[in-house]
Amino acid sequence: MAEYSCLVVEDSPMMRQLLVFALARIKKLQVTEAEDGVDGLRKLSGNKFDLVITDINMPIMDGLKLVKRIRSDENHKDVPIIIITTEGSSEDRARAMALGANAYITKPIQAPQVIAQVKELLKLE
Amino acid sequence: MMQENDSGRDERASDAPVDLTKEREQFVRTFLRKGVELTEELLSESADLRKEVARLERDNARLRAQVKSDNAIRDLIETIEELEREKRSLLDRSSELEASQREDEGRYTRIEAELNDLANLYIASYQLHASLSVRRVVRHLRDTIGQLVGAEAFAIYVNDRERKLAVPIGFEGLEADAVRPVGIGEGIIGEACITGIERIRDDFADGTLQDPVAVIPLLVEGRPIGAIAVASMLEQKSEWASVDRELFKLLGAHAGTALIAANLYASMSGPEAALEGLFDNLLRRPSHNPPPEGE
Repeated sequence: MAEYSCLVVEDSPMMRQLLVFALARIKKLQVTEAEDGVDGLRKLSGNKFDLVITDINMPIMDGLKLVKRIRSDENHKDVPIIIITTEGSSEDRARAMALGANAYITKPIQAPQVIAQVKELLKLE
Repeated sequence: MMQENDSGRDERASDAPVDLTKEREQFVRTFLRKGVELTEELLSESADLRKEVARLERDNARLRAQVKSDNAIRDLIETIEELEREKRSLLDRSSELEASQREDEGRYTRIEAELNDLANLYIASYQLHASLSVRRVVRHLRDTIGQLVGAEAFAIYVNDRERKLAVPIGFEGLEADAVRPVGIGEGIIGEACITGIERIRDDFADGTLQDPVAVIPLLVEGRPIGAIAVASMLEQKSEWASVDRELFKLLGAHAGTALIAANLYASMSGPEAALEGLFDNLLRRPSHNPPPEGE
């Protein structure tokens, strides 16, 4: 029985699968996937998530807009958000953090790094 | 004899001089006094001896207690020594366990890293072959090179046999004008497209499309059909990871096949149409290549 739920918003199927693969190693964590920001908002609507992991560069609605929308939504304004960025996009990262993201992971993604960051935000040992 | 002299004795006693009697009394008195003195002396000595005996008994008891106490101390010392030995043994065991724990942690980290590497390889392979859309295959190639390997700028070329050119079909991190077709056999990329020999530099510094940090030929049944050229790596990437080379091997061996499959499928109306003639092809031996061993 899952105790925690996480929404992964990533347009690249490969990166999504990589994240899901890494998160599957955290016990009692249920993962929901979304292909872009709009899909992410759709999945958020009517559901309660303990964590959101989102890429920045996505079609339709990017990660920055998604972070802004989540923080302005009364139902989800306190949910921890991890953004995924590349080292070169420090401006995007700074903007996302200013908008209310809690942490960031740089590409290329390493599973232990993802697991450690998620455990820290969910306060898991 | 006494009886014979009874009368004579009486005579002598009555006839004894006074001085002699006194002397005898004096002697007896002296004798008795000395006897008393001797007795008193003996009693005194006896009392002293009793005291001495009592003192000796006390000393004896004290010494016995002392010996008993010494034994107890000796036992305590032995116990302490035994405990010291146990402590040393436990400390040694603790050190061994700490070393073992460090080793286990190291092993755990290595296993974690290997698991991560295997996951990357699995996902790269899975995604590459999960689609029969040319665009999606190219997208997966770009994701693998950019997001799994960590390349900042790269281009993917496919050979155009008629024009004798290697034509870019996808790129990232480069200006579109900079990514042009290259002659097959010309330059580092063109050579890889004809020889099928990879070239991976150890250092990442000063990589360009003309002098890439890595050129990976795309092989199909051993023949080069194009190449991937990595011009530069992400800033945080300072050296190749072992999985990078495995990912390059995977791409070199599978990307060409995935592109061919997707390209052939593009002209088909669906999976059923793409499978037409499959049974005939299973029975027919390919003419352009020798059959695999064991067939």
